[in-house]
Amino acid sequence: MSYDPFGISSLSGYGNSFWQVNRVASGVVIILIYLAIVIIFGVIISSFISKIYRDQDTWLTPISGRIVSFFEKIIGEGSERQMKFREYFLTLLFFNAAAGVISFIFIFYQRDFPFAFANNHMTVSLTFNTVSSFLTNTNLQHYSNPFDLSYLSQTFVITGLMFLSAGTGFAASMAFIRGILQDKGTIGNFYHDFLVSIFYLILPLTLLVTVILIISGIPETTLSYISVQPVFSSVTYRVPLGSVATLEAIKNIGTNGGGFYGANAAFPFENPNWFTNITEFTSFLLIPLGSIIALGRVFSNRRFMVMLVSVLMIFFVFTAFLTFYGEITGIPSLSTLGVIYNGNMVGKETAIGIAGSSIFSIGATITSTGASNAILAAYSPAGLLGNLVNLLINDPVGGIGTGVLNIFTSVIFTVFIASLMVGKLPELMSIKIGSKEIKYSTLSLITHPLLIIIPLGVTLMIPSIMASFTNPKPDAITELLYEFATSASNNGSEVGGFLTNQVYFNVLDGIIMILGRYVIMGFQLKIADLFSNKKPKVEIGKSIDTGSFYFGLMLLGVMLLVGLLSFFPILALGPILSWARAFEQSIWMVIR
Amino acid sequence: MEKFRPDFQMKNPVMFVTEIAFIISIFVVFFPSYFDAPSTGVYISFYIAVAILLFLTLLFSNLSTTLSEEQSKTISASLKKMKTETNATRVNDSVKETVPSDQLRSGDLVIVSAGEVIPGDGEVVSGSGYVNESNVTGESRPVRKIQGDSVTGSTTLQTDELVIRITANPGETYIDKMIEIVEAAVREKTPNEIALSTLLSGLTLIFLMVTASIFALSDFLGFTSNTDILIVLLIALIPTTIGGLMPAIGIAAVNKISQFNVISKSGRAVENAGDVDTIILDKTGTVTMGDREAIRFYPNSSVQEKDFIKYCALASLQDNTMEGMSIVKLAREKGVEVSDADLAGFEFLPFSADTRFSGVKGKDTYIYKGALSTMLKNHKLSDTFIVALCKEISLRGGTALPVVKDGKFVGVIELNDTLKPGIKQRLDLLKKMNIKTIMCTGDDEVTASYFSNLSGIDEYVANSTPVDKFNVVISEKAKQRMVAMVGDGTNDAPALAKADVGMAMNKGTAPAKDAANMIDLDSDPTKLMDVIFIGKQILITRGALTTFSIANDVSKYFVIIPAMFYFIPALGALNILGLENPLTAITSALIFNTIIIPLMVPMAIRGVRYRPSSIAELFRRNILIYGLGGIIVPFLAIKVIYVLLSILGVGW
Repeated sequence: MSYDPFGISSLSGYGNSFWQVNRVASGVVIILIYLAIVIIFGVIISSFISKIYRDQDTWLTPISGRIVSFFEKIIGEGSERQMKFREYFLTLLFFNAAAGVISFIFIFYQRDFPFAFANNHMTVSLTFNTVSSFLTNTNLQHYSNPFDLSYLSQTFVITGLMFLSAGTGFAASMAFIRGILQDKGTIGNFYHDFLVSIFYLILPLTLLVTVILIISGIPETTLSYISVQPVFSSVTYRVPLGSVATLEAIKNIGTNGGGFYGANAAFPFENPNWFTNITEFTSFLLIPLGSIIALGRVFSNRRFMVMLVSVLMIFFVFTAFLTFYGEITGIPSLSTLGVIYNGNMVGKETAIGIAGSSIFSIGATITSTGASNAILAAYSPAGLLGNLVNLLINDPVGGIGTGVLNIFTSVIFTVFIASLMVGKLPELMSIKIGSKEIKYSTLSLITHPLLIIIPLGVTLMIPSIMASFTNPKPDAITELLYEFATSASNNGSEVGGFLTNQVYFNVLDGIIMILGRYVIMGFQLKIADLFSNKKPKVEIGKSIDTGSFYFGLMLLGVMLLVGLLSFFPILALGPILSWARAFEQSIWMVIR
Repeated sequence: MEKFRPDFQMKNPVMFVTEIAFIISIFVVFFPSYFDAPSTGVYISFYIAVAILLFLTLLFSNLSTTLSEEQSKTISASLKKMKTETNATRVNDSVKETVPSDQLRSGDLVIVSAGEVIPGDGEVVSGSGYVNESNVTGESRPVRKIQGDSVTGSTTLQTDELVIRITANPGETYIDKMIEIVEAAVREKTPNEIALSTLLSGLTLIFLMVTASIFALSDFLGFTSNTDILIVLLIALIPTTIGGLMPAIGIAAVNKISQFNVISKSGRAVENAGDVDTIILDKTGTVTMGDREAIRFYPNSSVQEKDFIKYCALASLQDNTMEGMSIVKLAREKGVEVSDADLAGFEFLPFSADTRFSGVKGKDTYIYKGALSTMLKNHKLSDTFIVALCKEISLRGGTALPVVKDGKFVGVIELNDTLKPGIKQRLDLLKKMNIKTIMCTGDDEVTASYFSNLSGIDEYVANSTPVDKFNVVISEKAKQRMVAMVGDGTNDAPALAKADVGMAMNKGTAPAKDAANMIDLDSDPTKLMDVIFIGKQILITRGALTTFSIANDVSKYFVIIPAMFYFIPALGALNILGLENPLTAITSALIFNTIIIPLMVPMAIRGVRYRPSSIAELFRRNILIYGLGGIIVPFLAIKVIYVLLSILGVGW
């Protein structure tokens, strides 16, 4: 036997490599590699994003700047005309509402437009749900059949809304940061910010990712469908085709998450191999994480940024390993029976595996992407809990733009209590935080849990609705909680387990998504407005050091206590109970 | 008892929810079946215990407020004692009439003779005399009042006769205002309190919804949830500790300030004081003792020493400042006596912060003494000997007071001044708290830098006039800093009004006191620093209790949720304290929640112990004590209570 300390010769063989035998160790390493990669790319993009946030020129300015000013000339708006909060937010709302109405009409009457099949149809409630879902960057899909949408709807309406919602989110974060940095009482021009978001950031990155995905084998074609006859079946299936790579690119870059196919990234045409898996993972974390890393440069406060990223990474690592643990252990009672059990592969793509699926779903729920490369309904309770934790604290890393807004609301809340504890009145970035800022930050923090808890309580009381849940009752609670949490946090990942496409859920989820998006955004922009009227203090010494370890600890505490712990009773009766039940078979009898 | 009224409690959402919960818990005791709650004996006694504990929660919260209010009542009572109704002699176009003091109006002139009580706040128009202000300031030494000085109503004139112009209408005197403030102004919430209540209301709303959702959850899972246990969960989760104590902390704030003999016109000013970034201090009286004493006469060359001493004594005879009197005294010790007769034909020009000199002026002669720079400028003089002498005196910390007679320097008086004892340590504390100190002084550059180096002042403004002080306030405010300052003269009024925390000395003029948002009855400028400490302490108390209150929820979840669903063994893993009897466990959690309020009352009223230290250190310490402590302590306490209850045989 030749000397081979690293077992390299056996890597291509089977069964006796350490990494192949020890699935836990290899899974941990895979997850850490994924995390390392997104941090590296996040840092790379951050300097570019920080330039956008500070309204500085970038290397894209010669091209993108012209496009932006071309559009600005057409609509007669521009960055010279700065808006106050009211006008900015109303413009944003009107712009989104107009897009929503047009999309609604288009999808509802899609059969009357060209490139449509006779079976392209959605009910009123489903159309409402779909439009509000894509408009709010949620991309919850209550339809699954790829033929529900016509090619024209898919290409223009869905893809269009994906760009629009991403651009709106990023524009809001631009306005928010401007509110802190400037003291003129204005927060920017929405049209300008929107165009900049699209043409400086989202579109270029989408094009880049499209190219990478096409090269790695994702279809981008004008063919309408291919027919497949699986070997074990006599039926011929028609698998639709189209501009899958483009949709996949904007789906991930824009933290949208709604796939071309109902099975989302679990479908081989969307996510064929490990490389596309890691590319898609990186692309949906790129802007959210990059925006937060950019804050270090934007506010010339590296420590603050490091603190934020550390806190978010604690959530990331914790939830990733919780989910990985849940999936790798699967159903413990099976192991006790002596079955050789290598973890929960149900609903997972073998090309991607447990670690690749776990980290992908966590990445998708820690941002507001919600894409999935495995069937979440088949996740173990612990695996699902990891995802649910992220949804309940409103996607810590956040969607494109909204991540910055959300983390600042928590920071303001923390700064307030922390400052009191050292006998100072609160201030952030040297700007005084008044009672109004606290009011709006509290409002935006409580809106999210309320949007989940109230519908949950109400729905549980309606037996006819709950009748469509087929799983054991604790699982049904988890599924229902997940459904509202994914809507309220504008995430869009879905467990299902019940009939989602019914009028009740279509309408209710649609309303939750709209409130979860615009109400919270309104409160947050109002904070920016209040900041925009205040001048920063010329500091003598630091007030509370927002970059310190203890501040990070407290921020973590606030996010856990206010964000997560308020759901404790529901979690206890839902996923925790299901999880505990997986260890104890006897409980089945009690609760069933 | 009125505090139990729901409309009264409405102002405090946390306690309002507690009150509603209490009312429901009473109904549960009597009509358990209406709530689908089990009505066996064990449960009934549990319901009674819950109702009692909820009542105690409300009671303790109200008691803490009452305790604070009692304190303010004592203070306002002692203030009221200061108010003496008396008869005043009003002069109206040289017609004298006797009227009760409460009929005096602003602008009236009154004559007060020795031994009489001054009928109202006012300003001395003519005459001079010693006034005993001990009932207001606690200072037993009588204070000399001369023309232009302000006097406080209810103080007693001990010598001579004063003509006073009344400056306040009845009910508007300072004492009246103070009583009003202590009694009422504290109830108006400060912006900071508003922010905190918003935050607490938000949390309460979430917990209310979560608790309500448990009804639906357990209904769905097929069992009836016990209303009373849900009530306990709700009360345990909402921040009752801080919610119950918040009014008490607010009242305690103004009380504490009052105990320092400082009257704050609003609670807001006290909070601002805690957040001060820059403090503007006067040199004299704040950093240094201020009672500057003449210690030596230096005659100019070609001037006889005796002559020089006589000039000095003449220029100072009618000068009522400590400085002036010490010059006359020193002259007397040197054997030079002057009397008012020597000053016939001379007019006395008192010192003012604007002119920065004083002295006497005759028909064609004058003797002025004042700051070197002023003298050089005013009289277009240059005298290298005098300039060098002044510099030398300044370098050793003394104040040089050059004297000019008829356009020539006749010599220099050396005044000595020393740092106030303990001022250096206090300024060090301010530095630790990241507060910038700026010293304003009418003294020259050299003296100013000498004392600022000695005491550790960050910046100084030498040769300053009240306008300079105002400009310092404005420039610091332009940097968005919180500015605190002390002032007493009318000239200080604009700066006092502009500063975030303006403390006027009680001996100061009426406009200064009007402009300021705090008045120090003892006229001790160093008290500004005490006010800053108190301000910080109040904020810290609020922050610490909030953190503690929220952190407590962790343990309560882990006690109540597994106890509530004890019949689902799978949730036993959450029962990390291993409490076997669910009802006792729930009761223990509620007992902890209740008794923590009276346990925290002393802290709320006295304030969290505040040791001035750097912000980072303070933050680290408080987050460990109140944050981590707030998570761990209730776990231990609930376990102890549980064990005690079990020992006592309370097993329900």
